[in-house]
Amino acid sequence: MDNFIKPPVEVRYADELAALAASDKGRRPENWKLSPRAVRTFILGGKVDTPSGKAEISKKFYGNDSLVERAIITLAGSRGLMLVGEPGTAKTMLSELLSAACCGVSTNTVQGTAGTTEDMIKYSWNYALLLSKGPCREALVPSPLLIGMEQGIFARFEEITRTPAEIQDSLISVMSDQILNIPELGDDGLVLARQGFNIIGTANTRDKGVNEMSGALKRRFNFETVEPVRDVKQEKEIIIREAEDMAKAGHIDMPVDTDVAELLAVTYHELREGRTADGTVVERPSAIMSTAEAVSVYFQALSHAWYYDDSRFDLGILTEILVGAVCKENREDLAKLRAYFRTASKDKTKEGGLWKTYLSSSKLLK
Amino acid sequence: MENVSQFVEAAEMTLIAEDNPLLLFPVRHHSPVCSYQLIRTMELYRPDIVLIEGPSDACGLIPVLTHEETRLPVAIYYFYKDRKKLVNEDGEDYKCYYPFLYSSPEYNALAEAKKLGIKAMFIDLPYSEIMINTAEQSGLRRSDRQNYADDTRLTQGEMYRALCDKTSVRSFDEFWEKYFEIGGLTLTPEEFLRQMHTYCCLTRENSDPAGSETDGTLIRERFMASRIIEEMKTNKRVLVVTGGFHSSGLLKLIRNGNAAPPKLHSIPADLRGAYPAAYSYESADALHGYASGMEHPYFYDSVFRRIIAHGSPEGAYDEVTLDFLMQTARECADKDLPAAMPDVTAALSLMKGLAALRGVRECGMYELSDGITSTFIKGEKTVSSSMPLDILSRIAVGNKIGHIGDKSHVPPLIADFEKQCAAFRLKTDNTFAQTVECGLFTSARGLALSRFLHRCRYLGTGFCHVIRGAALRENRDRSRVREEWSYQRRPSVDAVLTDHTADGYTIEEACLTVVRRTLDNEKYCSRAAQTAVDCFVMGIGIDNEQQIMSDIIAADGDLFSVGDGMRFFEMLYRLCEVYGYEGRSAGTLIELCFSKLISSLPLMAGLPSDRADACIRIMKHMLELTDTLLRERAGELESALRLIISAPQKQPAVYGAAIGLLCSFDSSMRITAEQVLRGFLCGSPEVMKQGAEYLKGLFSAARDIMFGDNDFLRMTDELITGMGYDDFIEVLPQLRLAFGYFTPQETAGTAKAVAKLHSAEPAEIRYGSAVDERLYAFGNRLDSEIMSQIAER
Repeated sequence: MDNFIKPPVEVRYADELAALAASDKGRRPENWKLSPRAVRTFILGGKVDTPSGKAEISKKFYGNDSLVERAIITLAGSRGLMLVGEPGTAKTMLSELLSAACCGVSTNTVQGTAGTTEDMIKYSWNYALLLSKGPCREALVPSPLLIGMEQGIFARFEEITRTPAEIQDSLISVMSDQILNIPELGDDGLVLARQGFNIIGTANTRDKGVNEMSGALKRRFNFETVEPVRDVKQEKEIIIREAEDMAKAGHIDMPVDTDVAELLAVTYHELREGRTADGTVVERPSAIMSTAEAVSVYFQALSHAWYYDDSRFDLGILTEILVGAVCKENREDLAKLRAYFRTASKDKTKEGGLWKTYLSSSKLLK
Repeated sequence: MENVSQFVEAAEMTLIAEDNPLLLFPVRHHSPVCSYQLIRTMELYRPDIVLIEGPSDACGLIPVLTHEETRLPVAIYYFYKDRKKLVNEDGEDYKCYYPFLYSSPEYNALAEAKKLGIKAMFIDLPYSEIMINTAEQSGLRRSDRQNYADDTRLTQGEMYRALCDKTSVRSFDEFWEKYFEIGGLTLTPEEFLRQMHTYCCLTRENSDPAGSETDGTLIRERFMASRIIEEMKTNKRVLVVTGGFHSSGLLKLIRNGNAAPPKLHSIPADLRGAYPAAYSYESADALHGYASGMEHPYFYDSVFRRIIAHGSPEGAYDEVTLDFLMQTARECADKDLPAAMPDVTAALSLMKGLAALRGVRECGMYELSDGITSTFIKGEKTVSSSMPLDILSRIAVGNKIGHIGDKSHVPPLIADFEKQCAAFRLKTDNTFAQTVECGLFTSARGLALSRFLHRCRYLGTGFCHVIRGAALRENRDRSRVREEWSYQRRPSVDAVLTDHTADGYTIEEACLTVVRRTLDNEKYCSRAAQTAVDCFVMGIGIDNEQQIMSDIIAADGDLFSVGDGMRFFEMLYRLCEVYGYEGRSAGTLIELCFSKLISSLPLMAGLPSDRADACIRIMKHMLELTDTLLRERAGELESALRLIISAPQKQPAVYGAAIGLLCSFDSSMRITAEQVLRGFLCGSPEVMKQGAEYLKGLFSAARDIMFGDNDFLRMTDELITGMGYDDFIEVLPQLRLAFGYFTPQETAGTAKAVAKLHSAEPAEIRYGSAVDERLYAFGNRLDSEIMSQIAER
């Protein structure tokens, strides 16, 4: 596991999943690895009884707990789950967590792009085998959807609205009838979905209008809107936890500075909300101010300190990285960031310390 | 914690036994489970008397609340006028509601007492005493509090936050629904009492004692405890129903026997009181700003009525949530929102799944709301896509309004209001905004309805407002013969009418009293004339109107106010006959205003510039009147205008207007107008600039002066062309205003004449010539080049 950049959820949290499975006495839907209550505990955290005492299950998704509950119950029913929201709101992470907890697999995934074809969603062929043996199961290359149907597990469809609408619509018959017909295989070509099969889709609201989903497909999904984390304290916790994990994976032996994490969480929160804690209105940058971006900025600054500055964290470097993260598409975002440093945060300098140093680095905003 | 357990185990708290002389029943306002368990408790305990938390000055209204024809929601409306300044030096008026729904435990205690044939009474301090003993911005004296039934202290604080975290719920209301409303239905009354007392005692333990002092809790508890002790002397079993926050406080006082009642103030009966009033579910909603109890009152009322109808709580929540889900789906379908039967099925399945996951016995409001969120909202949840949730919320809040069965205690004004609403067939049984049209001249009913609505508006009830129709108060749209009104019955309407109780027995009488009071204190003619307009639209005649108005006109030293008043009186004079209005004093009042203005007109010559426009308006109006109603007084006006032009100090615009108006009496004044303009032309640059203002005044009164011959035009041209660029720019606004009085044809004619003077084409003068695009681009480049060079230097 140490050699992988990002191990799958079921590998990363194998111990927790095993502890939950061992203590899980709740009713579970057919083919699910855990009961809905245990899935909830896996995602939202809690304690479970183990032979060696109470084991702590870490909280992995911050924000709306009832959304997670609705998502779990939706997946236990006949409708698919569609997670929509701004980029960086942990939609993908939630879908991975749900897949890993319910099915034990989070990697059965179709990545939606403009180039996604119907073959990638349903099935394709190994043409060498097809030519030599004709259409047969051996020559069939199953898509994640087909695998999900045959094994009774979830298929994840990432960024569904990046995919052309007519390709998206190929899901309709599968979701309605729970059947996929492979005409080339003749009588053997009828694949019936096993119990436990379902689809988790994710869609980015910034892509709205790119490939709008048809009404028919929408009817087959329950929608959940994943909102950005609104609580600065929670956002700080996420930055700390994720940065620690990333540092560990990158063999960076340096502690995460909680004060810097808070400072970054406050900056992102205030720029995203367009208002500071003391009520000053600030202009929102057009760039995505997600918690995932904040984690990335922190980790880059941490890496810089580790490799170039003998583990000394430099707030000036953090500011420079922040510029790169915020000013991606629009030059006006730089002016908005400067305005934030100049006016909105002025009061915070009175607190001295870290904020004073941070705001004095505003000269680097160029 | 030890304290809490000791208290909860106390017999007074939980023992439902014949030999227990006192049983304290804590409630949350409008809670169905509290009502259900209270009814069961009363059946088991069989008290001799029920004492209920509520200001004791409303005990006489208990029969009204439980009257068989009373339909809930209703409220007791309390008021206190602090004329004796016992609250503070401001001597303000205070008011509040005590609402009752079918699910209110207090109402069920009263109804059950009536059924059992036992006495029930309110035991709290009178409302006036509560206000006197509450610190500013605390308790019932908080500016956002108009509701006696407040659960804030039961639902706030660190403890409830810790509970929400521990039980993984979103809010106190979700916690309450899960563990008390739904969970509590299957408990025995003793178990329920124990749980309620545990929660309430813990809340009290964790609250700030200083807060209980400032918000009047402690003194109220002392009073309530004294009443309880008193009743315990003569009754074997006393049941006390209070907000849960008070239970432990009351018990301590009763046990210690140190509940000396506070001394009450002597307050005249007309300064305090209580009336029954129709109330609405909307106002009873906790989210409506009054913090009155629970959210979604109609939903919980429906649950309670279902429990009573079936005699069992089994399946009540499941049935009601399904019913509300269907209602939401139907309304969504009516609004073309995607909510088909498969969505309803999916929502129901999701709700049941969520209830199972959360360990709730039946689906509650939160499961219902979650089910609709997931299945009815297709796409991103935004303000617009959340309409299904808005619909659910509206249905769950409810729109019905109550009805008082026994009218003997209803203030006469409200009775008259309801009688007239019924006569005009205005829908007042719900809180939806309605519209109604009144044809002012098509039928007597139309005019009568308009007058009734105007009266309601005049009293400040907030019951109605005009969407379309004549705006006589603003002197606009006088020719409109139809009015369209929007109206909406809300509890605040009853509150305002109750406040006017002392003003009369009918709406008309109340309006008349308010009009008299207004005129008695009025010093300005313009405002008095507006009140006369109000009387006109309300169809109300005032005795001695002419005398009252004459006195106000005579005393008013503000000529502009008299001028404005005269305009209103003229409007009334012209409309009286059309509207069939009986007041005939308008003509006399116009004359009075005119006389007052004539004598003061010469003083207006030297007004400051910012009042010049108002003065010119009055002068022009006076001239109009001498052409129509006051022909015989034309000579007086002419003399007054001549005095203005002969005054040593004259405001140029007023001067110009006076000369312009005199032209209509004497055509030779045209020469004077030219001479005066010549004078401005020959003056210093400063004087020349005043010429523009003079022209503005002159053209406002006699713009035809420009079209007689070319002399005036030539002089005006000289005035403009003779100015330097900066001076011209300075007076340009005045000139624009001066020429603003001309019609488009007159402007075209003037342009033609000016073009002739300068041997040019009229179009060239009016519009100028188009600039070549390349030349414009070159100019732009040149500008930026110059600017950058300047910046470099």
